[in-house]
Amino acid sequence: MAYGLSVFKSDGSLGFSTADITWQTVAQFTVAANATVANTYSEIAGMTVIAQRQLVNVPPNAQEDYVPNVVISNNSQTITVSPQSGLSSSQCIIHVLAQDT
Amino acid sequence: MAYGFEAKNDSGNVIINDTIENLHFIGKATRSSDNSNYGDFPGYSGSNDTLDGRVVHTYTITCSGTPVAFIKPTDYDRWHSIIKQSVSSTTWTFEVMISGTSTSNPPEIYCFVNADDVPSTSDTYGMIVYKSNGSTKTFDSRRQPLAITGGGTASAPPSDPTNSSGTPGTSTGHSWNYSSNDHDFRSSSQYTAHSDSAANTSNAMFSCSSLAQAVYKRQQHGYKESCGCCGFGCQDHHSTASWWVMYRQAFRLRSGNFDSGWTNYAAGYAFSSSYESGGWFGGGGGSYSTGTMPYTAKTINLQSNAYILADSSRYD
Repeated sequence: MAYGLSVFKSDGSLGFSTADITWQTVAQFTVAANATVANTYSEIAGMTVIAQRQLVNVPPNAQEDYVPNVVISNNSQTITVSPQSGLSSSQCIIHVLAQDT
Repeated sequence: MAYGFEAKNDSGNVIINDTIENLHFIGKATRSSDNSNYGDFPGYSGSNDTLDGRVVHTYTITCSGTPVAFIKPTDYDRWHSIIKQSVSSTTWTFEVMISGTSTSNPPEIYCFVNADDVPSTSDTYGMIVYKSNGSTKTFDSRRQPLAITGGGTASAPPSDPTNSSGTPGTSTGHSWNYSSNDHDFRSSSQYTAHSDSAANTSNAMFSCSSLAQAVYKRQQHGYKESCGCCGFGCQDHHSTASWWVMYRQAFRLRSGNFDSGWTNYAAGYAFSSSYESGGWFGGGGGSYSTGTMPYTAKTINLQSNAYILADSSRYD
């Protein structure tokens, strides 16, 4: 590359550079069963934000496990996690990732 | 910005700065066990006995922070998903389900954590970026930063996870002790494809959560009446045969496509037969049951979800 930043691995091969695209990690938190949580991160205002949901300790063959809903609002700054309407929700890991686009 | 560090990529988008942490590769999770089952209905042999099957591999990795896990299939023809992620102290456990019953060719699980939680390293050169507090790392070149190659929004799979048209149900009017499954519970044709040029079957890996679940059942009721001499002493004979399958959402990488589909997680077969006592003729019957249907037939968590693709060869 003619300009930019390249980061090399200890073996000399290229590890990361400004030719790459990435997702940065904003936060990880665990939401208890049936809980509603709203977290705001001002540093990601206007960025593209995704929130991955991963069920925790699910007994997959013994019950209905409803994942909570996730809503991204407030110019992408606020992540709200809440049970689906009229349903209980299971414990869930939320991983918030952001990308400058 | 008045101070700090910021690196933009060729598109002018920030990929490293001093406020948001990058994800860094910390290693592959270690596989400790596997459990293979449900290549067919347990206790049943007859039509439509075959299921897709599944293997659940268990992996662990020890780290601070919450790892983002990528699945790198070894056999790209099979469906994969993480169905469970739990932690004890700093040891994380993943249960990874793949379709089929062969325990050969398990997938590899590549784990990434935020910069400040990457394990220490003895490397004394490279570049570290700290937040304004001077202690929290946002980037550490000594651990491989995550570079993505593709991704987007993965739509939910079709609501009906079964290959046969329509979801199975209950029927009556069969002969007594009738038990012949007429529904194909396999899922090979039930998926939603997403075009993605980064998807390939050589080094691509993905991160996407399995959200959707489903349970469906086929049930057949049989009946006959038998009477003794001259129509006296009639007996009612009843039988019930049922097949149920529980599914979890799973994913598949093809060249140019990321598919959101299904794999059966559990299954069972139950058969019971009875007749009224006191009649002229005894009626043979019996019962058989494997497992308990976890909940009434339905599909739940049918939601879209973000997925990320990356090149695993960068981290080997």
